[in-house]
Amino acid sequence: MFTPGSKYFLGLAGFSTAFMIAYIVVVDQWDGGATALAAIACAAGLLAGLSLFNRDGEVKVGDTSAAANAAPLGASLWPLIATVGIVLLAVGLITHEIVFLLGLVAMAAAFIEWVVQSWSESASSDVAFNNEARGRVLHPLEFPVLAAVGLGVIIVSFSRIMLTLSRNAGAITFIVVSSAVLFVGAVFALKPNMKKTLVAGICTVGAVGIVAGGIAAASSGQRDELVEAKEEGHYSHKDCGPEKSKYFDKNAEKTVSMRSNPIATVELVDGKLQARELGVEGYTQRITVPRANSSTVIFRNKSNEERRLVLFMGTEEVQEGVTEDILTCTQMIGPDSEQALTFKLNKSSYGQEKPFAFTVPGLEGQSIEAFVP
Amino acid sequence: MTKSMRKLVAAAAGLGTAVFLAGCATNAPQDTWQPKGSNAQKIDDLQKPVFAIAGIIGVIVIAVVTYVIFRYRDRGQPIPEQTHGKPALEIGMTILPALILTGVGVFTFRTVFDLAKTSDTEMIINVTGQQWWWEYDYPVQEEFGITEPIISSGQLVMPAGTKVLLRETSRDVIHSYWIPALNGKRDAVPGRVHTLRLDADKPGIYAGQCTEFCGLSHANMRMEAVALSKEDFAAWVQNQLKPAVTPAEGSLAKEGEAVFLNQCVRCHQVNGLLKADGTPAIAAPDENVYSGAAPNLTHLMSRNTFAGAAWDLLKKECRADVWEASPEEFGKKYLAGVDEECLNYIDLRRWLRNAPEMKPMYADPAKLELTNGLYRGMPNLGLTEDDIDKLVAYLVTLK
Repeated sequence: MFTPGSKYFLGLAGFSTAFMIAYIVVVDQWDGGATALAAIACAAGLLAGLSLFNRDGEVKVGDTSAAANAAPLGASLWPLIATVGIVLLAVGLITHEIVFLLGLVAMAAAFIEWVVQSWSESASSDVAFNNEARGRVLHPLEFPVLAAVGLGVIIVSFSRIMLTLSRNAGAITFIVVSSAVLFVGAVFALKPNMKKTLVAGICTVGAVGIVAGGIAAASSGQRDELVEAKEEGHYSHKDCGPEKSKYFDKNAEKTVSMRSNPIATVELVDGKLQARELGVEGYTQRITVPRANSSTVIFRNKSNEERRLVLFMGTEEVQEGVTEDILTCTQMIGPDSEQALTFKLNKSSYGQEKPFAFTVPGLEGQSIEAFVP
Repeated sequence: MTKSMRKLVAAAAGLGTAVFLAGCATNAPQDTWQPKGSNAQKIDDLQKPVFAIAGIIGVIVIAVVTYVIFRYRDRGQPIPEQTHGKPALEIGMTILPALILTGVGVFTFRTVFDLAKTSDTEMIINVTGQQWWWEYDYPVQEEFGITEPIISSGQLVMPAGTKVLLRETSRDVIHSYWIPALNGKRDAVPGRVHTLRLDADKPGIYAGQCTEFCGLSHANMRMEAVALSKEDFAAWVQNQLKPAVTPAEGSLAKEGEAVFLNQCVRCHQVNGLLKADGTPAIAAPDENVYSGAAPNLTHLMSRNTFAGAAWDLLKKECRADVWEASPEEFGKKYLAGVDEECLNYIDLRRWLRNAPEMKPMYADPAKLELTNGLYRGMPNLGLTEDDIDKLVAYLVTLK
């Protein structure tokens, strides 16, 4: 009844279960070890069921002609890939989780391919039929995965190129590449009898060119403008003085996630600073800010000058006896503009010598208190 | 019918009867079929007809399937003539469910939009979820006598007959706020503010439960909404605005205050509490707790629960006295708070002795690498029985 393969997996499942119970009793039920052993037991149980179901992939007993007539099998890459996967798993454990994940992917791919290939090679004595059987099982998996990986590599490579080129060069490159794709695609469509090797060659040259360009671009780094913009920050500004950022992302605060969750809106209208809390009618000079929680406030500049909103978040001792204000602020924004300011106040307002407050530099006597319960 | 079949039918009938009778429970504070506020009533007005429609259709489908199974079961008869397709029947069976779902959908959308309405809000309460308790803070609202922000936890106190808007967020993971008698549930998501409207028809306590799995003690993350008459709510507000009273010199409570200053104030704020040098004692939960907050205990004994509303501060009989009070008497009994006679010493002492033993929390000092040494929940403080006596004496004064 039991095949050798199923016996092995059943044994593994049984031992894993026994060790899991022992682990829970002896070590700690909340530890990850018990979960890992339970996962091994489940996986082994599943594999045991598969082995039983397909009789270890063996041909039916009595079909002796199959083995006799079977064509010699070619070399298989999957043991090698499985080995690479194991090595990556081990290396990943001590280096980086990405390496570990790559190892898992290699192991999973090798396992699936190896099992199906072994099964298909024993399906009959007809090699062509066996190959077709393998394809029927694996092609629905292989084609989408390989297409996704190939497309992903092309997209990442092209994005690296666009991040490296200057704005104008990037625009020109985009127009040229997209026009070339359109042209080549049109040629392929108009000449359906074109040799497959020629089509494959053109596509390969194009893909290799983009990937090579992407590698070169990635190694030379992003253009200076983007590097500087990243240092400046999307939303907040570092110094909160009169200086202006050059490259900050003016549209960053327009994202849905940013727009849908502000705790309040602070407006500068007719030289007066006023706030409106979410869900509260009318204006207030004091807003309640959740303690120790990232919160967002939208600043609307309805004045005629460039302004920024500054939040005083307390003080810190930079050296013995010397304290500095902790500030965060929006970028300097023009008239009728708005920007989001995300911040986190960890301390309660109780006992603070100076209240947390929003101010606008250059606007005297106006502030909105940020009260932290 | 074979013997095993009879056993199976008997077991199924027994299970069905048990499930049916479970619906007759009277002590079910989180029953979704007993609305006590206008929002919950809107949901109830929708769910009852939908449940009836779904129930009728379900019964018809089960009856027809059962009839077909028995009427046309295999008795060795020849396979009947096979037909392919009956367009009229197929179209009819597509249009009919579509019409039913459209009808249900129209009323559902109307209710959803009604529940989302906030323009006529009368009061705001900020609600923040964290592992595994709820914090409530009341922004300044002069019309309700809230001249300074109020902070509380565990029990949401609100005026009855008032449209209250909860502004929900979370400090760590996603939680979900749900008081079934007052409205549906709404997720509290870190970095976002979601709104939920509550109103209670009459004074009373309405139980709730976090309904988004949020970690080890999700099941112990309870909440209660307490509705008071407007006069009683004003009295509650006045009490909450007062700082804590300093215990008399030489009392056990004063010694408890010293223990509190030495241990508890690292995370728990008590407004008005002064250090030995006369400066305010300011809690720093952000330096000790992963979520960055711990319940403010200034008026601990003005609420009836502790530890995320999972345990009662009142003894069983005192709790029943408050929960079962008529709407007219409820406010007086709730505002009496917890006194020495009614205090649930057993659970409070157990909590102070070893909190993680009562409520599972990631509070093992040896396992805090993932949170940079910060606790998720209250750790075992290793207090002596003597310290616990003193602390309890001090906590009772926090009314």
